[in-house]
Amino acid sequence: MKKFLLQLFIFLAPLVLLAFVADRYINRTLKTSKTGDYAVWNDILDGKVNSEIVIYGSSRAWLQMNPRIIEDSTGKDAYNLGIDGHNFYMQYLRHDLLLRYNKPPGTIILSLDNFTFDKKKDLYNPEQFLPYLDNKEILDATKTYFGFDFYDYKLPLIRYAGQQDALKNALKIMIKPSLNNIDRYKGYSGQDLSWNNDLDRAMAVQKKYVQHFDSATIRLFDQFLREARATKTEIIMVYSPEYIGGQQFVSNRKEVFAIYDSFARKYQIPFFDYSKDSMCLDKDFFYNSQHLNSNGANVFTRKMIRDIKAYREQKLQSNGIYKIARPEQGN
Amino acid sequence: MLFNSISFAIFLPVVFLLYWFATKGKVRLQNILLLVASYFFYACWDWRFLFLLIFSTLLDYYTGIRIHESATKKKSRYWMWLSIVINLGFLGVFKYYNFFVSSFADGLALAGIKMNYATISVILPVGISFYTFHGISYVLDIYYKRIKPEKNFVDYSVFVSFFPLLVAGPIERATHLLPQIIKERKFEIAKAVDGLRQILWGLFKKIVIADNCAEYANMIFNNSESYHGGILVLGAVLFAFQIYGDFSGYSDIALGTARLFGIDLLRNFAFPYFSRDIAEFWRRWHISLSSWFRDYLYIPLGGSKGGKWMKVRNTFIIFLVSGFWHGANWTFIVWGFLNALFIMPSVLMNTNRNNLDIVAKGRIFPGIKDLLSILLTFTLTLFAWIFFRADTLSHAFHYIGGIFTTDFFEQSDEFIPRPLYFLLAAFILTEWYGRESRYALEKFGVKYNRIFRWSVYYLIILLLFVFKGNTQQFIYFQF
Repeated sequence: MKKFLLQLFIFLAPLVLLAFVADRYINRTLKTSKTGDYAVWNDILDGKVNSEIVIYGSSRAWLQMNPRIIEDSTGKDAYNLGIDGHNFYMQYLRHDLLLRYNKPPGTIILSLDNFTFDKKKDLYNPEQFLPYLDNKEILDATKTYFGFDFYDYKLPLIRYAGQQDALKNALKIMIKPSLNNIDRYKGYSGQDLSWNNDLDRAMAVQKKYVQHFDSATIRLFDQFLREARATKTEIIMVYSPEYIGGQQFVSNRKEVFAIYDSFARKYQIPFFDYSKDSMCLDKDFFYNSQHLNSNGANVFTRKMIRDIKAYREQKLQSNGIYKIARPEQGN
Repeated sequence: MLFNSISFAIFLPVVFLLYWFATKGKVRLQNILLLVASYFFYACWDWRFLFLLIFSTLLDYYTGIRIHESATKKKSRYWMWLSIVINLGFLGVFKYYNFFVSSFADGLALAGIKMNYATISVILPVGISFYTFHGISYVLDIYYKRIKPEKNFVDYSVFVSFFPLLVAGPIERATHLLPQIIKERKFEIAKAVDGLRQILWGLFKKIVIADNCAEYANMIFNNSESYHGGILVLGAVLFAFQIYGDFSGYSDIALGTARLFGIDLLRNFAFPYFSRDIAEFWRRWHISLSSWFRDYLYIPLGGSKGGKWMKVRNTFIIFLVSGFWHGANWTFIVWGFLNALFIMPSVLMNTNRNNLDIVAKGRIFPGIKDLLSILLTFTLTLFAWIFFRADTLSHAFHYIGGIFTTDFFEQSDEFIPRPLYFLLAAFILTEWYGRESRYALEKFGVKYNRIFRWSVYYLIILLLFVFKGNTQQFIYFQF
C-alpha cells in the first residue's frame, strides 16, 4: 500500500505543481491579451478606456455602434463596452469597474433591447471572466450566476479545463507575442454577414416569446440613472433597429417600451427609439432579427450621431425628452 | 455526484483511504464502510429515494430467505413472485405509469373512445432499473437453487448498493459478486494500479469523446429539419460514439473504482463496434444486461430448445423487453424490434455464434471480409441508434427521411471542429490496438516501460484538460 501511495504521489505531484504554475501563467498572459472580450476587460481594469463617450449594452451595442464613426463625427474619444449576451446586471459591473479604474465618461450611450431588464440564470460566455476571478467585483458578480462552481473558484487551473479559446489565446501570446493583435476597435466589432435563418429557426421552435423582467435589475437600472444624474453624466438611451419580422416575436414588447419611457420621463433623459426606423424593413442591413451587419451598423451609427447632435441643438425646446420616431412608418 | 466530477475525485480517495487504513483489513468493517459510503453517494442524488433503495434491499433480502426456507415449491414460488411483482411494481409506477396510461388512452382514441386521464409527475429514481434487476436476479437464483440466501444484511446490502455499480451497473449477479463481498480482501498493488488506469480510460471516453460528440449530436438531432443528408448521417455517427463513450466510459470507471477496493465487477463492454455481425455486437454491448435477459428471460422462456419458431419468438421477446427496459417510449421499443430483426438472419441460419473470437486476433489489420462485416454491422446499429436517440417515432422517421434527400452533400460539416475528428480517429485506433485486452489502455500497462506508460497517462490527462466537453449527464442514468 505504501508503495502504491508513493507511486501515486510521484505521479500526481508534478501535475499539482504544474497546475499552480500554469494557472498563474495563463492568468497573467490573458491579462495582456488584446483580442476579444479580454481586450475590453483589460482596457477597463488597466485604466485604458478614459473616453469621453462610452457605449453600454449587450451585443446590440457591441456589434452596432461604431466608436470610430462617433469619434470622427464628434471629435471626442469613444469606447464601446457592449457585452455579448449579458443583461444590464453585467453591463453595470463594467460601468462600476470603469468608474473605479478610469476617468469617468461625460456621455453614456445606453443601448437598450428587450432583454435589458432580464437576468439570465446561467453565466453566458464564462470564458471571458476566467483570468479575473481575483478581482472581487468580478468574482462577486459571477457568483450570482450558475457558471463556476466552488472548485473553479478554489482550485488552480480547474476552471480552464475545456476552455479551448482561452487556452489557445494564452498559448498564442506565449509562443508568438506578435500574434497578440487587436481585433476590435475600442470594443466594437462589426460583422460582415448577410441575413441568416436564425429568426425562422427561433420562430419554428417558439411562436411567441414573453420577456421576463428581473425586479432587482430594474432597481439597479434606476440606481444607475440616479447616480448618473448625481455625477452630471449625460445619459442617452438608444433602442437600435430590429428587423421588423422579429419584432412580433416578443409578445409583451409594449411593456418593455413602457418601462423605458417611464425612466426617460422620470430622469428627463432622451430616448432614441429606432425600432420603427426604415432600416428595420430592410434585411440587407441585418444578419439576424436582432443584429445589424457591419454595413447596417455604420449606417445606423451615423444616423444616431446625427440625431443626437440634432437633439442637443433642440434640447431646450424639447422639454428634455426626445423620442425619435421615424416618419416612414407613420409614427 | 457524477463519476467525472471533482466531488467524486474527493469522495473516492477519502473512502479508499478509510477502507484500507481505518478498517485494518477487517471485512465486516470494510463492508459497513462501503455501505455507508454507497448510501451517502446515492443520497447525493436525492436522499428521498434512499428509502426506496433500502426498502427494495429489505424486500429481496427477506423474500430470499423465505424462498430458501419454504417447505414446499408452492410457497417458495409465492415468495419469488411476491418479490418480482413488488420490484416490477416500483418500476411500473416510477418509470412506466405515464407511458401505459397515455398509450392506453391513445389506443382508445383510435377506436373513437375519448378517455380523460391524468399523468403523474414523478422523478425517476436514479439507478432503479439497475438495482431492481440486481434484486430480481438474486431472488431467482435462490429460487432456482443456484445460491443460498445471504444472511448478513450488510453484506447483502453492499451487493445491491455498492456505489460504483449502483446507478448504472454493471448489473451484477449474486453468484459473482457476493462471494467477493463476503471474503477477506487484501490490497494488491497491481489491481489498484490497473483500476486507476481503467478509470483514466473511462474518463477519457466520457469527458473527451462522449461529451464532445454529444454537443454536436444534440445540435443535429434537435434541429434535424435544418440539415441535409450528409450532416444527419454525421449526427447519427456522433451519437453512436457519444453513447458508446458515455456508457462504456461509465462502466470503465465503475470497474476501475471497484478494483481499487479489491472487487472485480462483470465486464460490460468488449469493443462492440468491431463486431462482425449483430449477434456478436450483442455479446459485446452492455454485456451484463444482455446476459441477464438471456439467463432470466430467454432461457426460462425455452430459449432455443423448442425449434426455430420458439427461438424466433423468444429472440423478439427479449429484444422488445430490452428496448422497453431502456425507457418508456415507443422509440426504444422500435430500437429493440430493429435489433431483433437485424439478428434474425443469423438466428434462422444458425450462424449467430460464428464470430466468437476477437476480430483479426494477433494481426494489425483486419481482412477485407472482416472490415466489410464490421462496417455493415456498424451501419445497422447506426440506423437503430437513430430511433434510440430520437424524441419520438415521427422525429426518427423525419430524421431518416432527411438522410435520403437528393442534396446529401450540400452542407459542409465545418461547424464540427477538426480536433474532434482527430480525437475520434485516435480513439478508434487505440481501441483497435487494445481490442485483445479487457479495455484499450490495459495493454499499455503491461507491455511498455514506465517512462512510456506515464507519458501516455500524462498525455491523456492533458487531453482531458484541453478537450473537456460540456459536462453531460450519463445517458444511462435516465434508465
